[in-house]
Amino acid sequence: MSNEIWVFAEQQEGKVRKVSFELLSAAVDFSKKTNQAVGAVLLGNGLQQAVKSLTPYADKIYLIDDPSLASYTSDVYLINMAPFIKEHQPSVLLGGATSTGKDLFPRLAMHLQTGYAPDCTGLTIEENGKLVAKRPLYGGKVFAEVVFSEARPQMATVRNNTFLVNENLKKSAQVISIPSHTDPAALKKKVVGLEKGAGTKLDITEAEIVVAAGRGIKAPENFKIMEELADVLNASVGTTRATVDEGWRDLKDQIGKSGKNISAKLYMAFGISGAIHHVLGIGTCKTVVAVDTDPNALIFNYADYGIVGDLFQIVPALTEELKKVLKE
Amino acid sequence: MDKVDVIIVGGGLAGLSCAYELADSGMTVIVLERGDFSGSKNVTGGRIYLGPLRHYLPNLWKEAPLERHVTKELITLLGDANSTTFELYSDRFNQEPYPSYTILRAKFDRWLADLVSEKGVFVIPQKNVNDLIKEGEKVIGVKTEDEEIGADCVVASDGILSFMAEKAGLRKPFQPQHFALGFKEVIALNSNIIEDRFRLGEKEGAAQLFVGILTKGIMGGGFLYTNQESLSLGIVVGIHSLNQREPREEIYKFLDEFKGRPEIKNLIKGGEVMEYSAHLISEGGIHTIPKVYGNGILITGDAAGLGLNMLVTVRGMEYAMASGVLAGRTIKMAKEKNDFSASTLANYEKLLNESFIMREMSQYQNTLSILENKRLFSKYPQAISDLFEKVMRVDENPKEGLYKTIWETVKKDFLNFETFKDWLQFRKI
Amino acid sequence: MEIYVLVKQVPDPEAIVKVKSDSELEIENKYFTNFFDEIAIEAGLKLREKFGGKVTVLTVDNKKVDALRRGIAMGADDAIQITDPALEGSDQFAIAKALATYLNLKDKPFDLIFAGRQAMDDDAGMVGPAVAELLGIPYVNVITGLEVDDPKKEVKVIREVDGGKEILSCSLPALFTCQKGLNNPRIPQVMNVMKAMKAQIKKVDLAALGLNAEEVGGKAAKIKVQKYLPPPKRPPVKMIKEDFPENVKTLVKLLREEAKII
Ligand SMILES: Cc1cc2nc3c(=O)[nH]c(=O)nc-3n(C[C@H](O)[C@H](O)[C@H](O)COP(=O)(O)OP(=O)(O)OC[C@H]3O[C@@H](n4cnc5c(N)ncnc54)[C@H](O)[C@@H]3O)c2cc1C
Ligand SMILES: Cc1cc2nc3c(=O)[nH]c(=O)nc-3n(C[C@H](O)[C@H](O)[C@H](O)COP(=O)(O)OP(=O)(O)OC[C@H]3O[C@@H](n4cnc5c(N)ncnc54)[C@H](O)[C@@H]3O)c2cc1C
Ligand SMILES: Nc1ncnc2c1ncn2[C@@H]1O[C@H](COP(=O)(O)O)[C@@H](O)[C@H]1O
Repeated sequence: MSNEIWVFAEQQEGKVRKVSFELLSAAVDFSKKTNQAVGAVLLGNGLQQAVKSLTPYADKIYLIDDPSLASYTSDVYLINMAPFIKEHQPSVLLGGATSTGKDLFPRLAMHLQTGYAPDCTGLTIEENGKLVAKRPLYGGKVFAEVVFSEARPQMATVRNNTFLVNENLKKSAQVISIPSHTDPAALKKKVVGLEKGAGTKLDITEAEIVVAAGRGIKAPENFKIMEELADVLNASVGTTRATVDEGWRDLKDQIGKSGKNISAKLYMAFGISGAIHHVLGIGTCKTVVAVDTDPNALIFNYADYGIVGDLFQIVPALTEELKKVLKE
Repeated sequence: MDKVDVIIVGGGLAGLSCAYELADSGMTVIVLERGDFSGSKNVTGGRIYLGPLRHYLPNLWKEAPLERHVTKELITLLGDANSTTFELYSDRFNQEPYPSYTILRAKFDRWLADLVSEKGVFVIPQKNVNDLIKEGEKVIGVKTEDEEIGADCVVASDGILSFMAEKAGLRKPFQPQHFALGFKEVIALNSNIIEDRFRLGEKEGAAQLFVGILTKGIMGGGFLYTNQESLSLGIVVGIHSLNQREPREEIYKFLDEFKGRPEIKNLIKGGEVMEYSAHLISEGGIHTIPKVYGNGILITGDAAGLGLNMLVTVRGMEYAMASGVLAGRTIKMAKEKNDFSASTLANYEKLLNESFIMREMSQYQNTLSILENKRLFSKYPQAISDLFEKVMRVDENPKEGLYKTIWETVKKDFLNFETFKDWLQFRKI
Repeated sequence: MEIYVLVKQVPDPEAIVKVKSDSELEIENKYFTNFFDEIAIEAGLKLREKFGGKVTVLTVDNKKVDALRRGIAMGADDAIQITDPALEGSDQFAIAKALATYLNLKDKPFDLIFAGRQAMDDDAGMVGPAVAELLGIPYVNVITGLEVDDPKKEVKVIREVDGGKEILSCSLPALFTCQKGLNNPRIPQVMNVMKAMKAQIKKVDLAALGLNAEEVGGKAAKIKVQKYLPPPKRPPVKMIKEDFPENVKTLVKLLREEAKII
């Protein structure tokens, strides 16, 4: 196989996102089996740092560094990416199942007339380079292994934390600079503003640990104890639709069917009853802890560890205990 | 105001059965249901007797999503560390037409709603009816959050707390002693595991009832029904009897402790709780039945207090469905005369009185007061299990004669004035 | 304004879905109109109320038209079902192709197309973007805010992105996929539900679209399910039964020593 395995290296403000490194690490593993080169595709403006951070993870970096790419829109990325994908015909193109990935990939795949598997939770490759993608359907009630037709590249977006970052990679990628194709007249939409979410916390889809509280927390100001717990664990704070609908929390932190799917290593639910709509969003979390006053709360069906108890007692005590233990 | 012929409030069994009866009448019939779909909030232990219903709804049962036909009846008397189970199997339960089935309401109600929709009735979910519209004493329509809809006749099928019957002035608020509270879980299990554990053939079902320590002396009991691929497990307790108790108990704990008993634990092992619900049960019996008709309105099912609690079996589904059908028949008759006044609708009461519903309701009219007897829920189950245990037990001490063992217990636990009184009472059931 | 809304009837999140065999699922018969599509319908209706015009709901489905009826009940003016035996087995791109072809056919041009963020069955989020690509119009995914300037034919939208919100502007015609938060879909009135249940649904087949059977359906699929799998099973929950505060200590211990996460 001569065609390459590519990863769309998504950057935010010049910093490559963790999921891209996860996927590059997986791609390097795949490449050993298929004997293909690994390429990172990097678009944006002012990307020296990003290029440097990617160098150990790929054989080649396809770089378009141009002012027109300073902020992401699917149009400008598509115009720039499509031509050189057609030219190089990679065998695989992977991206994170981030808001950008989920925005760009379907349109790009349609444009390239190729197959695309969205929001995957597992990928394997066969020696002949055929990708097998595993993805949840019906909110995770079943999974499907999907394979691709003959069209190339085989495209997939993959959830955060599906693969581990391999920090021992020591490749030194060759940088291939590509001129921008941006034709300002052809651009149909533009970003006119950006509102950053409060704080520096990772998005709940990215965080390795997510702690969440539902209606059981009773009032918006009580989320303070959740923030304190999150700080000790370097976690992000999630929630249920009930509190979002009450206006206590922002929609971006809602876990579940009409919110986000998370794949955290540890998910802790406090005062969350465990409605199917909610737990469909945590199916791929590795370890789940539930704390609820109601011993019959359905959330315990989906947990690894459970405590029947009052969150107002448990959360502060847990914060203190963790502080103590993690200091050691 | 927009107008239709008939508005049925509540898409439970009573409302949908009434709609079914009216489906081919040529009238415009709407069913307003506050849940997201019919059955979404309805709770039933899960057993329906088809015997009487086959006359009222002859064509319904072939396709109906029933779970298993009950071939095995079990009654378990639960002591605090022992229990005695009586098991009845009968070939007669295993012959078509089967007398009774287990049932899951969410599935069944939804199916029935689809069926009546296909027949042209408008079943409209997400509609909470919050008032009746009256012209003098005459009910002429209903109000929802944002609409008023008129009708020749309104049928209140809105379940146990029927707000409609109260609004129509037909019913006074019920008293706590007229209610029991039911808690129930549906536990998913493979059908072959269910058949093995209960020793059942394919499609055959078991109905197991429990009295004794599980309700801690409170009037009530437990039930376990086998569905096709799940078990329905629950506890029913009388609210009045619960309220009288000091200190107050958290009832959900009863269900937890019940599930922890080896008798149950091993039956539900490996199962996954799919559903947990709590619901009121009407058990006022015949004494609480309101006036079931008024000018332009009929009341059916639980809304009309048509429910019975006999020892630990709860009955209500057959009454709901049959009363729905009778209400439908009455409306058809009224339509012919084009008269929906109270005097025409009174015919519904007559039909009810002639039916098995009222016959049963009066036959069992004394059960409730008898059921308030605490000994039934604590002493007797314990004594019987203890006796049985003594008879069966072998240890290093020489065993007393069987006769003596039994006689001692009978003398101590059963031959006294209280038991004699209880016995006289029970004969009224 | 000419507004089109793409809608789909999907299994309710509460429906039981199980793997029957490698190639077949068993789906409980509990369907509803895709949650996000109702938000899309509402978005269309709001704009029509403001600017006048027409809202048409559109589905590709050989059997279920309930989503169209829901649309009519909510207030849509017209409903179109694209249906053809050859569509059986289509993937999202083929669905998009059928939809885009229909939209291109229209003698009267469209101003706005709304779709849901994703369909709650395949959870793909592909059909919206793919239709926009085929029509060559701008689109924005997952919007939670929308402001239309009809005379200028310009739109400003708010889009959810990881860690914040983005405000974008674009010109019409355009396609948007709708996310919770954009609006609260209305619950249709009783009389409108009755009207919708009786409404005639217009059917369109592939021939009318000028599409060949080979361009859609299973054979044209770009991805294929090779196997369905049940979700990985969690071991039974371990309830920590000690009293407070020992239970907290035990939990931390289990997370460190057994689960080895912290
Ligand atoms: C189409 C649709 C989509 C939906 N999408 C989502 C979604 O994406 N995400 C989502 O979350 N929901 C969603 N829902 C809503 C979902 O059905 C539930 O209503 C919601 O998840 C309930 O939130 P909750 O657990 O916070 O509240 P509740 O169900 O009210 O639970 C609160 C819990 O807190 C416990 N509690 C109370 N006090 C304490 C205390 N002091 N200590 C500990 N525990 C306490 C209670 O025992 C209870 O279990 C959706 C619903 C629909 C119909
Ligand atoms: C735990 C438990 C176990 C039971 N076991 C059995 C059993 O084994 N066998 C048996 O025969 N019976 C049993 N019953 C009783 C049986 O479930 C009821 O008698 C039966 O459901 C009554 O039917 P219904 O249609 O009158 O009321 P419901 O089934 O309660 O239906 C009423 C409907 O009206 C709707 N509604 C209420 N108010 C409004 C409103 N304002 N606007 C619009 N809609 C409204 C409700 O959402 C509901 O769908 C049991 C009950 C319980 C709680
Ligand atoms: N068969 C279909 N007919 C009409 N619209 C559809 C269909 N499938 C998907 N859509 C639209 O596309 C959105 C995303 O669907 P999906 O790409 O399947 O997740 C849905 O919310 C609908 O708005």
